Order: sequence, then C-alpha cells, then structure tokens
Amino acid sequence: MPELVRITIDGREVEVPAGDLLIKAAQDQGTYIPRFCWHERMRPVGMCRMCLVEVETERGKALVTACTYPVAEGISVETSSDVARRSQEAVLEFLLANHPLDCPVCDKGGECPLQDQALSHGPGESRFVEIKRSFEKPIPISDLVLLDRERCILCDRCTRFSDEISGDPLIQFLDRGNKTEVNTFPDHPFSSYFSGNTVQICPVGALTARPYRFRARPWDLAEVESSSLFDTAHPRIAIHASQNEVLRHQGVDHDGINHGWLSDKARFGFQYLGSEERLTRPLIRRGSDFEEIGWSEALDIVADRLGLIKGEGGGEALAVIGGAQGSNEDAYSLSKMARVALGTNNVDCRMEDTLASQFLAGTVDRARIDDLDDADTILVWGPDLKEEHPTLYLRVRRAAQDLGATLVLVHPWANGLDDRAAHKLTYRPGGGFDLLAEVQAGRHPEVSTALGADKVVALVGMASHADGPHLAEAVAALARDAAASARILPLAGRANTYGALDMGLAPDLLPGRVGIDGSGNGWSDDAWGPTPRNPGKGTGEILSSLIEGDIRGLLLVGADPLRDVPHPLLTADALRSLDYAVSIDLFLNDSNRGADVVLPALGFAEKEGTATNVEGRVQKLNKIRPGPGQAREDWSIIEDIATRMGAPLGLASAEGINKEISTVAPVYQGITWDHLEWDSPDGALAPLEGSSPLNHIPVALVTGNRPGPGLGLHISRVMYDDGVRLRHSPALRPLAPGPVAMIHPDDAASLQVAPGDRVTLRTEHGEGRAVVVVDPAATPRTVRIPFNQADGPRLGTAPVVSVEKAGT
Amino acid sequence: MTHPRPESHTPDPGFRERSIWSKETQERAARIVARYPLRRSAVMPLLYLAMREEGYLTDEGMEEVSRWCGITPAQVYAVASFYTMYKREPVGRYLISCCTSISCMLLGSDEVMHSIEESSGVPHGETDEEGLVSVEHAECIGACGGAPALQVNYELIEGVTPEKARDLVQWLRAARPEVLDGDEMQQLFGTRRSFDWAIREEEGAIGPYPAFGPLGTVGES
Amino acid sequence: MKTPLVVTRRMTEHPADSHTIERYEATGGYSQAKRALGMTREQLVEEVKTSGLLGRGGAAFSTGLKWSFLAEERPSYVVINADESEPGTFKDRQLMERDPHQMVEGTIITAVANQAHLAFIYVRGEYAKPARRVQKAIEEAYAKGYLGSGIFGSDYELDMVVHLGAGAYICGEETALINSLEGVRGEPRLKPPYFPAAKGLYMKPTIVNNVETVSNLPHILAMGAEGYATLTPSEDSGTFLMSLSGHVARPGNYELHHGITWRELIYETGGGIPDGRELKAWIPGGASAPWFVPDRHLDLEITKEATNAAGSMLGSGAIIVVDDTTCMVRATERIVRFFAHESCGQCTPCREGTTWLEQVLRRIEDGMGRPVDLALMLDVSDGISVGLDWPPKMTTICPLGPSAISPILALRDYFSDEVQEHVRLGGCPFREVRAHA
Ligand SMILES: Cc1cc2nc3c(=O)[nH]c(=O)nc-3n(C[C@H](O)[C@H](O)[C@H](O)COP(=O)(O)O)c2cc1C
Ligand code: SF4
Ligand code: FES
Repeated sequence: MPELVRITIDGREVEVPAGDLLIKAAQDQGTYIPRFCWHERMRPVGMCRMCLVEVETERGKALVTACTYPVAEGISVETSSDVARRSQEAVLEFLLANHPLDCPVCDKGGECPLQDQALSHGPGESRFVEIKRSFEKPIPISDLVLLDRERCILCDRCTRFSDEISGDPLIQFLDRGNKTEVNTFPDHPFSSYFSGNTVQICPVGALTARPYRFRARPWDLAEVESSSLFDTAHPRIAIHASQNEVLRHQGVDHDGINHGWLSDKARFGFQYLGSEERLTRPLIRRGSDFEEIGWSEALDIVADRLGLIKGEGGGEALAVIGGAQGSNEDAYSLSKMARVALGTNNVDCRMEDTLASQFLAGTVDRARIDDLDDADTILVWGPDLKEEHPTLYLRVRRAAQDLGATLVLVHPWANGLDDRAAHKLTYRPGGGFDLLAEVQAGRHPEVSTALGADKVVALVGMASHADGPHLAEAVAALARDAAASARILPLAGRANTYGALDMGLAPDLLPGRVGIDGSGNGWSDDAWGPTPRNPGKGTGEILSSLIEGDIRGLLLVGADPLRDVPHPLLTADALRSLDYAVSIDLFLNDSNRGADVVLPALGFAEKEGTATNVEGRVQKLNKIRPGPGQAREDWSIIEDIATRMGAPLGLASAEGINKEISTVAPVYQGITWDHLEWDSPDGALAPLEGSSPLNHIPVALVTGNRPGPGLGLHISRVMYDDGVRLRHSPALRPLAPGPVAMIHPDDAASLQVAPGDRVTLRTEHGEGRAVVVVDPAATPRTVRIPFNQADGPRLGTAPVVSVEKAGT
Repeated sequence: MTHPRPESHTPDPGFRERSIWSKETQERAARIVARYPLRRSAVMPLLYLAMREEGYLTDEGMEEVSRWCGITPAQVYAVASFYTMYKREPVGRYLISCCTSISCMLLGSDEVMHSIEESSGVPHGETDEEGLVSVEHAECIGACGGAPALQVNYELIEGVTPEKARDLVQWLRAARPEVLDGDEMQQLFGTRRSFDWAIREEEGAIGPYPAFGPLGTVGES
Repeated sequence: MKTPLVVTRRMTEHPADSHTIERYEATGGYSQAKRALGMTREQLVEEVKTSGLLGRGGAAFSTGLKWSFLAEERPSYVVINADESEPGTFKDRQLMERDPHQMVEGTIITAVANQAHLAFIYVRGEYAKPARRVQKAIEEAYAKGYLGSGIFGSDYELDMVVHLGAGAYICGEETALINSLEGVRGEPRLKPPYFPAAKGLYMKPTIVNNVETVSNLPHILAMGAEGYATLTPSEDSGTFLMSLSGHVARPGNYELHHGITWRELIYETGGGIPDGRELKAWIPGGASAPWFVPDRHLDLEITKEATNAAGSMLGSGAIIVVDDTTCMVRATERIVRFFAHESCGQCTPCREGTTWLEQVLRRIEDGMGRPVDLALMLDVSDGISVGLDWPPKMTTICPLGPSAISPILALRDYFSDEVQEHVRLGGCPFREVRAHA
C-alpha cells in the first residue's frame, strides 16, 4: 500500500496516495478535472492546459496543471474557483476557435471529449470572427488511419504514443506555433503495427480508422467486453457492434495485460466475421466439388466414417489437429472427444513450429507478465515480439525504457526491440546452440552478468525455423542455471495454445496440466472413464503416419496445416494420402478444401467461453452477434459426433463445460464463468503449483541444424499473415508483405539483385520464388523469409539457402 | 519528465556506406557527431550541412541526417520544420532577410521591405525565376541599434534606407559575389550601426545558411 | 556618477583589436580562469554569490545561488545562452563580436565552478559574425591549452562547442534551449524542476547562463566579490549593458549602473527624441515587458525592484523608445506578431491566443475594428494571463505567451482612446503622420 497524504479538494478533505498526480487523485475521489492531453498510460506533458486548477500551498496560491502536479500533504485544491474556471473556459474557447464545426459528420461525435467538455467546462459561445485555420482535407497517414488536421487540437497523444509506447516515432509535430500540425515525413507512412491506438486515444475526430470511418454513430453501438484471440497475451477489448455486425474493437485498460493498447491486428482483425465467404451450412464432397447438406445427415456420415476407421484400425488410426484458436470450452470438448469417442491420443493443438507441450504447459517457474515490471534483466531469445507477441512487446519495451530493466536480446535478425536492448547478440540461423554454448562458457560476460541478476525474466521461444523448437528449452535451462530465481515465459505461436494445452489438446497431456498417464496432480480416473494412457502422436508424426498409412482419418479443427506446418512437401503428401478428413472451420482453406466433410463453426464474438493467455490467466470471452447461417459452436458439433459414435460426452452447454473443467482440471478449480464475471473481472491466474507434478525436464542440448557456408536462412512469422482470418479482413489483408525475401544491401549487391527483383530460393527441403526487399537493418549473409505468406516459397527448416535471380 | 527521451531508432549500422554525401562532407559530419555526448544532438548542425550540400533542405537530406543521428526521418523533419532558417524549398543564392520587428519598424523597415520586394520583384517567402535572390521579412535580428537592418545570407547591414535597399538588390544581381562580405556590404548599403565593428575580416557567407568562410566551417572544430 | 566600464572596457580602450587573443592576454585575460582552477567549487560559488551578480538573460536571478542548486549527479554541463532574440536586445552580439575571449574565460570559470567538462555556446543562427568570432576565440584558446585536456597545465579537461540555433526565439528559454541542443523540438519543458541545475541537458545537472552574465566573471574574480558588489552605488551589483533603440537620437549599447532614472537614460544617454518630437512611451526591458509612459515613469529609478514595483521588468535590458508619431495599435500588432510567430505552439492559450490577438490587431489597424474588440482582446489576454496582473498568472508552460500581453495592457491603460479612434475612423489616424515623417 502506498503512503497516503491528506489533501483538500474543493473544500473536502480526502486521503490520496502520495505522489499521485492531482488529476488522478481527484478523479479517484470523484472530482473530474477536464483534460485533453493527459493520458494515464503516458508521460504527462501539460500541454493542452485544460486541467488548470488553483492550488494553495505553503508558497501561496498557484495556477497549476493538475495533470503534472503530484499531490503533497496539506495542499488545498480548487477545481472551479473563479480563476480556475476562467482558465478552463479560456482554453476551451481557444481550442474551439480553430476547430471546425463538422460534428454531425465526425466519427467522434457523441463520444468526443471536446464536445463533452465544451458543454461541461466551456464558455458556451465562441467570439472568434477571424478566418479559421484550414488544411487539406483528410490525408491518409497510413493504410489504416486518416488524419483531419483542422480537427486536431495538438494534444500530443498520438505522437507520444508512437514515440514512447510503440517505439515507432513516425508521426510528429511539424512546424511551429499556430502552424503546428501532426504529420508524417513525406512518403513515409505511419506504418506502425499499433497505429489504431492513436485513433482510440485521439480526444477529437482528427484521427479516424478506415475500417470504422462513417460506419456508425456511437449511440447506436452495442458493446460487450472480451479478450482478443489475436495475441497470446489476450489483451482486453470492448467489441462494438451494430445490427449484429461487429464494427470495431477498442482496447480496454487491463492493468495486468495491455494497458488499453492493441496491435492493429487485434484491433482491426474482426472483419472476417462478417465475410460473405463464411461457411454457413455443412458441405460434403461430391467428386471434386462440395455440396451443401443438412446437419443431421452430415453428422451421421462423419460419425459413421470415423467409427468405421476406428473399428478397423483402432483409435490410433485417427488423429485430431487444431483447437488453439478457439475457447477453452471448445478445446476441452475436442480433447475429451478424441480420448473418449475416438479413443486416441493423437491430438495436437500446436503446429510443428512450436515448443514442447510439456514445456509450454508445465513450466513451474513460469513468469507472469507483471514480472516484467520489476525485472532487473529481461532476456528475449525467441520470436521478434513486435511481430508475434505485440502486447508482450509493449510491456518489455516499457520495462526496458522506463522501468530500468536491462534487456538482453538474442535474435538472428534486426528485431523490434533492438533500440531498447542493452545487449544484442546476433547469430546465424541454426547457430543458436553454438551461441548458447558460448554464453555458457562465459564468452559474453556482459550477458552472463545480466543473467546473474536477482530478478530475471526469460522469454523464450522459436526465433527461427532453422533452430527448431528445442533451443528454447536449452535457453530456459541457461537462465535457470545463471539464477535459480529466474522466471521463464515460454512463447507459443497461436493465441490460445496455452488454454488448449491446459485442456489436454496434446498427445501427452490431460486437462489441467496432467500427464497422459493421469497419475497424480489431482486427476481422477472417474472424470472421463477409461481412456488410452500411452502418449499419442504430435503434428509432425501425425503427418508422417498419414503418409505411411498408420493414421487414416483426420479431424481438423480451425487448422490449416498446409499453411502452418513448415515442411510443405510432408504436409501436402500427408493430406493427399489420408482416407477420410473432416474439418470444422469458419472458412474453406487450403487444407480443408480437400476434406470429405466441412462443418461450419461459430467464430469469435459469436459464442461465450474462456481462454487462457501466455501467463496462464483465464479470461471470459463474450458474445455480441449471432453467427451466419447454420454455423454452430464447436463443442456442440463435437458432442453430436461423439453421441452418434456411441460415446456421448455429456456436454450440454458451454457454461456446463466450463463447470466440468473447473471440477476435473486440477489447476482450473474454481475458475468458473460466475467467478470471472462477478469476483474476478480481470481474469484469474491458474496457479502454477498444479503444474509441478508434470515436472518437465528440459531436453538435452540438441544440435541438429548447423549453419553452413553460404547464405543463412531466417524464417519467422510476421504480424500480418495469410491465415484465414486476415485473408478475409479487407483492411488488413493488403498489409501482409507477401512472398518477399529480405536481404542486406551488401548481399543484394553481390547477388546483383535490386529491390523488386524476383529471385528463386532453394534449400534441401524445397524451393520457391520471392520478391527482393533490401533492408539496411538486415543481418548480412542472411536471407529472411516471412513465414505464412500467400504464395511464399516453402523452404522447410533448412539453415542455408541458395538465391539466384529468377528469369522473367 | 522523469526519464530521458527515447533516443535511437532503426539501427542501421552500415549507413555510412550508403551515404549520399561526399567523403569530405561525411568526414565533417563525423566530426560534428563526435562533439556531442549523444549523436541525436548533432541534428541541427547536420541539417545545416545538408542545406549546404544541396542549397536547401531536401527530403533526401533529412533522411541522410536521420541515419547519422539514429532517429527517424519524421523526427528530423519535426526538428527542421520548427526553425525558420532551415529552408525546405529551394532558396536563391542570396537570401535577403529584412527585419520588420518593432525597433526596425519604428524606423521605417516596412518601407525598406517594400522597396526590396518592388525592386527585386520577389515577394516575401519567394525566389526569383533565376534562383538568385530570395526575399523574406524576418523577426528581430539583433541589430535594433542600427535599425532598420537586414541580412543577406545572414551577413548584416545596418541603417538601410529604401533607396540603399534597391541598390543592394541591383548590386547582387550585377556583381554576383561568390562570398558575401558583410563589412563591404555595410559600407556600400548601410549607414548607422548598432556599434563599431572594428577591423575587417576575411570571411564571409557562402550561401543562404550559416556556414561561413570559404570552407563554411563554423562550429565544426 | 559615471559608470566604471567593466565588460566593455577592453573594446572601448582598444577598439581595433579587442577581440584578439593577443589583446586579451595583454590586458590580463585568462589569468582569472587559471586562478579559478586553484579554487574549490564552494569558494567559487561563494565568491559569485557574494558579488551579487544577477543573471543578464532576463530573469535577473542570482548567479551564485543558481550555481549552488547544482545537483550532485555527474556529468554536469554548462550551456551559455547566446540565443539573444528578444526584440530590442543586441548586447550579447556586441560582447561576442568585440570581446569573445572574455566570454570564453567566463565560461571556463563557470565550468570549473560547476565541475563540467563540456560547455556549449548556443548562438542564435542569425548571428553569423558573432558565431565566427566565438569560434575563432575557442580555437585560439584550444591552441594555447586553455581548453582541451589539462587546461592551463592542470589536470582539468574542458571542451567547448559552438552550437548554432536556427531561427527560433523560444530557444532562448533555457529548457527549450536544452531540448534544442538534445536534438528535439525547441519546446520549453515543464516546471518543476525549476532549474536545469537539477535536471537539464540529457537529464543531467546543467548550468545555463547568459553571455553577459559570464562575461562579468573574470572581473569578479579579478576585483574580488566585495569589490564588484561595491563597484557602483546601486542595490543591483555591477554594471548592466542596456540596449537603446527606437526613437532616440543615440541608439546603441551602454554599460551603465542601476539607480539612474529613465529620464537620464533616454534624454542624456540616448540624446532624447530626435526631430523635436515628444516621448510617447517606452519599453523598459525588451518586448516582453509592460510599457512605461512619461507622466508616470520618467523619474523612476532604474532598478530591478523599482521596475518590478511599477509593474514591469528590466528583462534583457532592452529599451525601446517611441515618439508621438507612433501608432500604438501598429506597435502592439508588431510585438504581438513577434510572439505569435515565435510561439512554440505546445500550449493552447499561447498558440491560439497570440494569433487571435494578432488577427484582431491587424483588423483594427486595417480599419475593420469593432467597438468590442478592445474588450475582446482583454478577455483573450485574460485567458493567457489570468487577471492581467504583473507578474502574470500564466495559463501557459513558459512566459512567452503572457509576454505577448504586455503591449495590450498598455493599450488598456494608456491608449484605449487610440484604439477607439481606429474603430471610429475605420482606419489608422497615424497613417498621414507617417507619410509626412
Ligand atoms: C521566452 C524566453 C526567451 C528567452 N530568451 C533568452 C535569450 O535570448 N537569452 C538569454 O540569455 N536568456 C533568455 N531567456 C532567459 C533564460 O531562460 C534563462 O533565464 C537565462 O538564460 C539564464 O541565464 P542568466 O541567469 O545568466 O540570466 C529567455 C526566457 C524566456 C522565457
Ligand atoms: S507559452 Fe508559448 S512558447 Fe511557451 S511553451 Fe507555451 S506555447 Fe510554447
Ligand atoms: S490535461 Fe493537463 S495540460 Fe492537458
């Protein structure tokens, strides 16, 4: 508890935390001081001057900005004395002097702080008869954001955000005095992954978002809170919809997670929900085409065929892939169905590029996101957080920039956090283990020193395909060796991988972080009855077994392995070889286009449930619109199939499933919807203690790949992928870089290629073409290929690549 | 503000290999950067250097500066546009800045300004077709004791009259000096000074930016 | 009493070469910097405090006291404010052009006293010649071993860098200047901290002093703190460079002591109003300062206290004199235009208010004034400086915005008839007068 001081606000004596800014202290005590530039999550700048109040101190009465004034014992504040009121009215009149009166056509109308405060704290009239300042009408400052400069009141919020929070100082104050404007450098758009936040924090309608502009009036919007499943941290959001159509997501300030911020992917990636191409009815294959079919018939056929394969080959002949994009309830039903109805442990929610399931789920010393705030050292050896874990990126950035953490960054390429790293180690893809050995041997003393600190948080994961998933565990071991108190945050690829693993969607796990043999850890054999207890197969093994014919039937749930598994040939062969495939999905995708039956599912915001984020925090997901056509919730489709296979799961509603989870999954005890809605709206952290019986021991050092001579190959994900959700979100789709190969200018010169040239790339796993992008920040002698792009080269996990200019 | 502002962005280790500046200019840039504890501080002198390279501040020039300072071009632009002396449009070889602030105004600077605009045919903020003469009115240039005053490429002339101002324009167009010598111009076109200037100097202005002397090296060593 | 010359003595006695290092050293130059190296920080701060030296940048704050605020953290920096841009002010230019070594020596003393190893001289960009002279002086000092490593044979290291501004008056405000030096926009920082001595350049302790302020330091050390304090009979120690401009017969910089009257300054030193015209009003301390008028202020003593008590300030020491042919609306417009043009733009009242005032004044001068305009201007001014008092109750971050109000107060207090005359005539009553002048 912070120390309290006694102050007087408008004659009322109150106790407030020492050091709080007056504007906040007053607000917490129920006195609203008007403001524009102040934002709780950013450095106060005291620029708009709206929050002027009078403060009586030992040195006399002073006119101060409440947003920059820390409270101190004994001060007395008058928020609407004659002088304060005159100042506030003057500031509002000044702001309105040059502000256009186009409120009726302004997106912000109805939720505009300028409108609201003009009413509550303004003079009521403008005496400005001179000519108003004017600018060329809205200019696009990025693909997603438009700027009306004459509406801008120069509060410095968007510019501060881009500078201090997201670290992309691409919009700035330009010019001076009355000519000051916000703008970008000529022809350098505000291409930030976080640009949408500026729209949300703009206190007027100067910044508007293309996907929302002119689409609705705020008073027509229905709202519900939820958590975004575009980001492993599950940032809190408010979903706004009108006439059953989702129109926008706004960030909600969750203290433990996102502080109100969202990546543009999380903010604008909702348009797919209303896509015309959503699946609305079950489809069945007739020759090379699909035909619509009724639900009951479809389910009969599916149950029948899966039952047949099971009858012939046993449960081992069946497999399930997917389930990491949906709710815990759906994942639980899938997990239970695989074991109880299909009789198999061949289930996996991870794709091949992610970490070991027991490592992800069973790390006992798992870090919480908040641990970043008081960390002495943060080690990030894994994905580029800015590309793949945007919320964690913002939190790590803040910790390194403002909270004094020493950031150690290890990555084969330029990384979104480079400018905040105290130490950066770069290595050739495939050389991760060698570098690790060097660090262990003390050859990077500054890193060893940093890792020896008291409070160390290590974020580990797949930095590059070539290093494979095991490196992360070795890095975790390194951190633990250096400081036993180190906390580890293993990073997975998909948003609800953590929830799905906790529901047992892995070949070696049962719900509640229980090993597949079910021993110990509070798992009761009564929960599911007799189920197979031998470990099943993971995604890679499932795919090779499909080719070999050991597995013949496959259930894909929200999964597109053709896109998501790095080994392209393996996947294609596997999907070609199988006997029978069923897909539950929102859309047709590359993989399920060859399935026998495709069943339409409900998507995000169309159903209720829970999800578990990277730190093990369980939050409630909510519903705001009905789904399209006959689409149904995953769990009910799954229950119906199981029932028809003669093994009903007993699942009757999502809430019922949630109750079941909280009774059978040990670490989820008590985390019910009721609990989340009434007692713990910020979510509940599933305790780590329950993970311990899993006691995952990191694997020994593996040295499979080795960087060879020639050009290194760095394959990793970028924020804008070509997954089905973004593919059907028109605002974001154009932002995916597409099939590109990024190289250093020196390499471009020696390969004699120029930006825009097409090149052919070859590795031992595959080949393909890409367009050259020259990046001065690139690591020389290394080619970077963003994974998951449409028509990208499929190069597998090889560490080296050959590049040559392609003929036209 | 409790923390230093964020400094560096977009690291570009090999930026010097891709510099658009000559080797000589790069060496000067490196010397300038080395004078400051943080390279971002070099943005102002480097902007002058960029102007000297191309006569005014181009987008490419600002991008080059951004690489030297480790900040984004937008951050450079934010600084450049704050100041009146960084010209983001082409400027003539001779920039006439006529002070019209209070002390000069009291002694007739509006008439001097009018005479310059009329005799040159160039209104405030513009440049003649040939790219030789640019005209602007300026706020106080610190010559109030010798009002009305003006500067040509920041070389000062005090005690100017409308007639002398007209002569100055004609002289610039006819003589086209390589290096502008303030003392010489004062003698030709000025009268009363704020104070005595003592002996003459060898150096003069070489362009519409403060990079004085034949090498334009002020503030670089 | 005739003022003993201090900072302008050398240039007065040796007009031809006062700026050279030879002349400087021949007249005792650099001996005090060397002496300072043998003194402790406490001794130096005490010496300057005792001397009563007041800052010459405008705020007239005790220099010794300011130095004593220097925070413990190191490195510390010294920055010399040579951004002199306040209309009417041209004293620092003379000091830099005519006696640059004096300033360099003063800067060395400041750095030693404040344990800084790097000093910046922030010269406004338009000051081509002064910057050149200062640059040359610094180079000469380096060559002599007075700057660089081991200065004057000691083990003290000191570097000095000339940093050119680029045309922004606001960069004279010390925190804006620091931002400008850091390479960000020259916008003033929030107070507190009230002094960069706590957190300044790169958030490190920083002493910012004016050119004239530090030019006094070698003399203070030479004549001793007591000697300096008793140099003149005035309360305000030392001598002051006053820049006289506008409608006076002999404009220029004058080194004077405080305590003389405005009448003496304008009529004796300045030679009175030329062409037999009458004195109408004057600005006692740079464009920021509220105006004085003859019937009330002519016989006031020029001291910091007396001027403040009369509702104005001595500021940067610039006196701008206007005669009776001057249109006060036009003069006001010109001053307000300056502040509007130079506003950094971060505070709403300054950014919007100053431009609004400028637009109204121009409208009045152009003959489109309305009877309500004076009241409107006063209301707008009230929004920048609540209560229209002096010193102002600012609604802004820095005093630039409220400075723009000063001439409007003069319109209210002394020249409201003139404003209404513009409105009544639909034009400027002085246009004719000017045409014949
Ligand atoms: C708007 C504004 C402009 C200023 N301009 C200057 C200036 O040009 N030169 C100067 O020395 N001080 C100027 N000052 C004062 C400085 O902020 C600071 O007080 C001074 O440099 C301190 O030096 P001193 O103590 O030696 O006077 C200005 C202040 C303000 C508010
Ligand atoms: S008062 Fe004016 S100049 Fe000063 S900080 Fe505010 S806007 Fe900038
Ligand atoms: S909210 Fe305090 S100055 Fe803007």
